[in-house]
Amino acid sequence: MSDSDNNLTLTLRVWRQDNSETKGKFADYKISRISPHMSFLEMLDILNEQLIAQGDEPVAFDHDCREGICGTCSLMINGQAHGPDKETTTCQLHMRRFKNGDTVVIEPWRANAFPVVKDLVVDRTALDRIIEAGGYISVNTGQAQDGNCLPIPRQDQSSSMDAAACIGCGACVAACKNASAMLFTSAKVSHLAQLPQGDPERPQRVLNMVAQMDAEGFGGCSNTYECEAACPAGVSIEHIARLNREYVKASFCSSATAAEPIQAGE
Amino acid sequence: MSQTVLNSNVPGGPLADKWQNHKNEMKLVAPNNKRKFDIIVVGTGLAGASAAASLAELGYNVKAFCYQDSPRRAHSIAAQGGINAAKNYPNDGDSVHRLFYDTIKGGDFRAREANVYRLAEVSSNIIDQCVASGVPFAREYGGLLANRTFGGAQVSRTFYCRGQTGQQLLLGAYSGLMRQVAAGKVKMYPRREMLDLVNVDGVARGIVCRNLKTGEFETHAAHAVLLCTGGYGNVFYLSTNAKGSNVTAAWRCHKRGAYFANPCYTQIHPTCIPVKGDYQSKLTLMSESLRNDGRVWVPKESGDTRSPDQIPEEARDYYLERRYPAFGNMVPRDVASRAAKERCDAGFGIGGTGMSVYLDFKRAIQEQGEDAIRSKYGNLFHMYQKITDENPYKSPMRIYPAVHYTMGGLWVDYNLESTVPGLFVLGEANFSDHGANRLGASALMQGLADGYFVAPYTVGHHLASRSLKPVTTAHPNFDQTRQEAKGRVEKLIGVNGKRSVESFHRELGQIMWDNCGMARNADGLRTAADQIHTLRDQFWKQVFVPGSGDSFNQQVELAGRVADFMEFGELFARDALAREESCGGHFREEHATEDGEAKRDDEHFQHVAAWEHTIDGDDVRHKEDLKFETVTPSTRSYK
Amino acid sequence: MNWLTGFLKSSVGRKFVMAFTGLFLCFFLVVHLAGNLMLYIGGEAYNNYAHKLHSNEEFLLIAEVLLFSAFALHIALAFTTTLENFRARKKSYKLVETKRDDRTMPLSASTDYTMMITGMIGLFFLVWHISDFKLEFGWEALLEGQNPAQKVGVILANWSRVLIYTLGSVAFGIHVSHGLASACQTIGFNHPKYTPAINVISKVFGVIVAVGFSSFPILANMYPDLLNFSGVVTNSH
Repeated sequence: MSDSDNNLTLTLRVWRQDNSETKGKFADYKISRISPHMSFLEMLDILNEQLIAQGDEPVAFDHDCREGICGTCSLMINGQAHGPDKETTTCQLHMRRFKNGDTVVIEPWRANAFPVVKDLVVDRTALDRIIEAGGYISVNTGQAQDGNCLPIPRQDQSSSMDAAACIGCGACVAACKNASAMLFTSAKVSHLAQLPQGDPERPQRVLNMVAQMDAEGFGGCSNTYECEAACPAGVSIEHIARLNREYVKASFCSSATAAEPIQAGE
Repeated sequence: MSQTVLNSNVPGGPLADKWQNHKNEMKLVAPNNKRKFDIIVVGTGLAGASAAASLAELGYNVKAFCYQDSPRRAHSIAAQGGINAAKNYPNDGDSVHRLFYDTIKGGDFRAREANVYRLAEVSSNIIDQCVASGVPFAREYGGLLANRTFGGAQVSRTFYCRGQTGQQLLLGAYSGLMRQVAAGKVKMYPRREMLDLVNVDGVARGIVCRNLKTGEFETHAAHAVLLCTGGYGNVFYLSTNAKGSNVTAAWRCHKRGAYFANPCYTQIHPTCIPVKGDYQSKLTLMSESLRNDGRVWVPKESGDTRSPDQIPEEARDYYLERRYPAFGNMVPRDVASRAAKERCDAGFGIGGTGMSVYLDFKRAIQEQGEDAIRSKYGNLFHMYQKITDENPYKSPMRIYPAVHYTMGGLWVDYNLESTVPGLFVLGEANFSDHGANRLGASALMQGLADGYFVAPYTVGHHLASRSLKPVTTAHPNFDQTRQEAKGRVEKLIGVNGKRSVESFHRELGQIMWDNCGMARNADGLRTAADQIHTLRDQFWKQVFVPGSGDSFNQQVELAGRVADFMEFGELFARDALAREESCGGHFREEHATEDGEAKRDDEHFQHVAAWEHTIDGDDVRHKEDLKFETVTPSTRSYK
Repeated sequence: MNWLTGFLKSSVGRKFVMAFTGLFLCFFLVVHLAGNLMLYIGGEAYNNYAHKLHSNEEFLLIAEVLLFSAFALHIALAFTTTLENFRARKKSYKLVETKRDDRTMPLSASTDYTMMITGMIGLFFLVWHISDFKLEFGWEALLEGQNPAQKVGVILANWSRVLIYTLGSVAFGIHVSHGLASACQTIGFNHPKYTPAINVISKVFGVIVAVGFSSFPILANMYPDLLNFSGVVTNSH
C-alpha cells in the first residue's frame, strides 16, 4: 500500500486569480511525497491540505465525479488539455506520468467564452446555451411511440453514440488555437443527425446551434485537429465534417433560417 | 420510541390497477391555469431534469437548481450498466409482474408494494421516451433494441448504451430540460446549493440557496418544491458518488419536518476498484454488467501469492458459482458484496492488502474473442487500466465492494410527497422503491419514472386540491430562513480552528465504514454514534474554513456538507441499531443464518422506519407497516 | 436574418467559402503549373500555349475575374477569420503543447499553424508576380518585343526574382499541403474510406506545387541549358 520508495517531489506552477475582474498570476508551490498511483486531482487535494495547514487559501479547481464522465474537471497541464494522456480526463490522469523533480504548469481553460471564476475554475455555461439553441429533439413526455417502431441500423446507432459520448468538458475549446467549440457543437449535431428521431429538426438545429456558437465568442474551426487529440471522450473530427455538411445543406436546401442567438443571463 | 403509523396514501383496488385508478381520480390543473403555478426543482439528475422538463412542458413555471456548473453534470451521468424495462423484447418470459417481483424480492421485501408495481408498470414508457428523445441505445443488427442481463434477474431486460447508459439517459433528460429553458418555461440556476426549505403555514413554499459563484444567499418562492438531490453515500467519505454529492438539501428538509426513512439502507456495490492508499479521494465502480462475462474468484489456498495466471483452475475458488449455482456471478449486489467480504475476512483475499478478489474475463475472451469483449466493455476496461495501470485483457481485474447507492431517503407517500405538504422527493433522494437493496439497472429506471411519469401527475394533484394562497419571497419566513442559513455559514467560518474540513470528512468516513459498512453489530453501531457525536463537537471547535463566505469558496461548500453529514451519520447509526434484523444491504451480524446469509425478522421489522426531527435533537422513530397483498415475503434464495 | 447573409456571416459559412475558393485556386495552380511545364518541352510549346490562352479574350476575362474574385475572397476571409480567431482568446497560455501524435514539427512551424504566414508570403509573391508578368512593371524596356518564353527567361534571370519566386512557390506548397485536405474537411468531404488518401494527396500536392513552381527560377539559373526560353531551337553556345 505504501509507496515510500516511489515518492515524487514536484514544483507546481499554478494560475491564481481571485475572480473574472482581477488579474491573475502564477504561483509556485513545492510538493513532495506524491505517490505515482495518485490521480492528478488527489495530488492537488494534497497541495490544498498543505495550503490550508499553512492558513492559506486553497487552489480552486472544478471536479466532481472523478471517474472521467461528468466533464467537470478541466486544467491545462503543461500546455495540454487534461494533461499528456490520450482519451483521459484530468481526474483519470495519474501521477505515474510525471517524473521526480518535474515542474508542472497548471492553467485554467482559456477562452473569452470561458471567463475565469476563480483560479482554475471557469464558467462554461456558453456550452449549455449552444445545447439550448437546438441540441434536443422536440418531444414532450408521453408522446413517444414504442422504442422499436424506429429501427436504427446498428452502424448508425454506433456512430451516433460515438458523438453522443461527448462529456461537455470544453477541452476541445481549450486545446484549439482559435478557442473554437466546433467539436463540442458538432458532437451534438452529429449525434442527433444520425438518428431518425432527430431528422425533422435537422436543418433548424444545425443553423441555430452554429449561430449560438458564434454569438458566444468562440473562434472558428481551422482544422488543426488539436480538439480531437485532446478530447477525453474520443470524439472524432468526422463529426465536424458532418456538421459542415449539415450546415451547408440546411442553408441551401431547406427553408430554415437561424434563430436569434440566446443572450447570456446574469 | 413513538409508534405513530404513517399513511402512505396507497390507493385502493387491485395492485395492477392502483396507478391507473389513482390517475383517474387525481385532481387536474386546467391548461390555462398551469402558468399560474411556480415549481422549484432542486437537482438536475435523471429525476430532476426529467421532472423539470415534463412539468414545464405541461405549462408550469419551473425554476431548476443544481450545484454543478451545468445541469448535465449531475451524478446520474456516471451510471454505467443500464436501465431495466419489462418490454420482453427478447421473448424470455418477462412481464410487468416479473420485473415488479424481482425488484421487490431484490429489495428483500422492505419496499412498498404499490410503488414498486408502478415502477415496473411505467418502465416500458421510459424506454420509449428515451428513444424518442434521442438516446442511442444499443441495437441489434436488425435495428431493434438490444438487451443484456443484470444481477438478480433471470431474464434479459436491461437496455444500455455501451458502458455509459447513465450519461446518455441524463443527456436525453438534460436536452429536454434545455429545450424548456429555451422556451422560457424553465429558469436554470446552476452553481446554486440549496441550504434550506421555507415553509409557510406548514406547506413547502420555497427554498434558500447559496449562489456558489458569488456567495450570495438567494430565496425563491413557489407552489411546490421537488427535491431530486440524490443519495448520501458520501457520508462514508469514500464512495462511488461524485465528490459534490451530499445530504444537505435532504437533511435541511428533514430539519424542517420531512421524515427521513431507512437511513441505514446502503448499497455496497461488489465490483469497484479497491482502495490503494490513504490519499484516495473516491472509489470507482466497474459496472455490474461485467459480471455477465467476468467470473469472480479467489485462490483456494489462503496466502497463495502466485500471480493469477500461475494459479491453475483447480486451485481457484469461484465462490459465487460455488455458493449460488442458480444465479452464479449474477447474484444481487448485497449478496455478492458480502461473499467477497467473507472470503477476504477469511484470509483468501488477494492483492497487497488482501482486500480484493479477482474478476476474470479469461474464459469470456477465449470464447467470444477480445474484440467482442472490447465492444461490450471497452470503456470500462480502459478506465480500469487508467486507474490501476494493469491490463484487464491480460490479467484479471481486482475488485472490492464499495459504497455506491443509498436506498434510504426522505419518506414519501404514494404521491412522492414527504411529510411536509408540497415537498416532493424524487429519485435516490426518496426511500420508496428499492427496499433494503437495489437491483442493478433500476436506479435509472426509478429516477426517470419519478420525474417523467409520476411527479407530473401528483404535483398537479397537490396544486389543484389545496388552496394555496399567494406567497412571495417578501413573506417574513423567507428572510428568517435566509438569515438562519447565512448564520450557519458564518458560524462555520467563525470557528477558525486548525483542522481542515477534509480531515474531518475522512475521519467520519472511517467511522462509518468500520461500523456501519457491509456488516454491522450493536456494539459497533453504538460506538459509531458516540464517535460521530464526539467528532462533531470537535468539528465545531477545530475546523478551519479559509477565505470568506461572500465569494466563490469551495471550502465553504464542503464545510456545510460535512457538517450535515456529521449530524446525519449519527442518525444512520441509530437507525441501523434499531433495525434488529438483517435485510438486503443492512446486515447485522447478530442476525444471520448458519451459512452466513441474512436473516430477516418479518414479525417485528416488516416496516419502514421514518425518523422525525425534534427540537432537542433526538430524532423520533415512526413506522410505516408494509403490507404485501400480492407477494408473499420469502427468504431470498439465489442458490 | 436573410439566409444568405446568415450563411456568409457564420463561422462555418465563411469557412466554407474559404474552402471553396481555396479548392478553386488549387485547381488554378494545377492548370498554371501544367502551362509552365510546357517550358520543359520547349519555348515553342510554351509560346503556343500562351498564344492560345490569350487569343480567347472572353475566356481569359472570365477566368481572370473568377480568379481575382477567388483570391480576393479567400484573402479577405483569411484576414477577418484569423483576426476573430485570435481574438477569441484574449489571454493566452503560458505553455502550449500538442496532443496529436502525428505531428512531426513543433506547433509554431506546423503547416496548419502557419497558414497565415505562408498565405502572406504567397500574397507578397503574388504581388510581384502579377507586377512582373501581367503588368510587366519596370520590365518594359527589357521585355519589349520578346515572346512569352523569352520574357520568362529575362525575368527569372534576376536574382531577386529567383529568391522571391522560390520563396513564393515553397510557401504555396506548404499552404496547400494543409489547405487541400483542410478544404475537403470543411466542405464536409470526410469519411474513413477516403480521408487517409486525401491527406496523402494533399501532402503530395504540396510537394508538387513547391517543387514544380520553384524549379523554374532555380533551374533557369543553375542550368540555363535545360530550359529553352527563346522559343526557337538553338544549339549550345
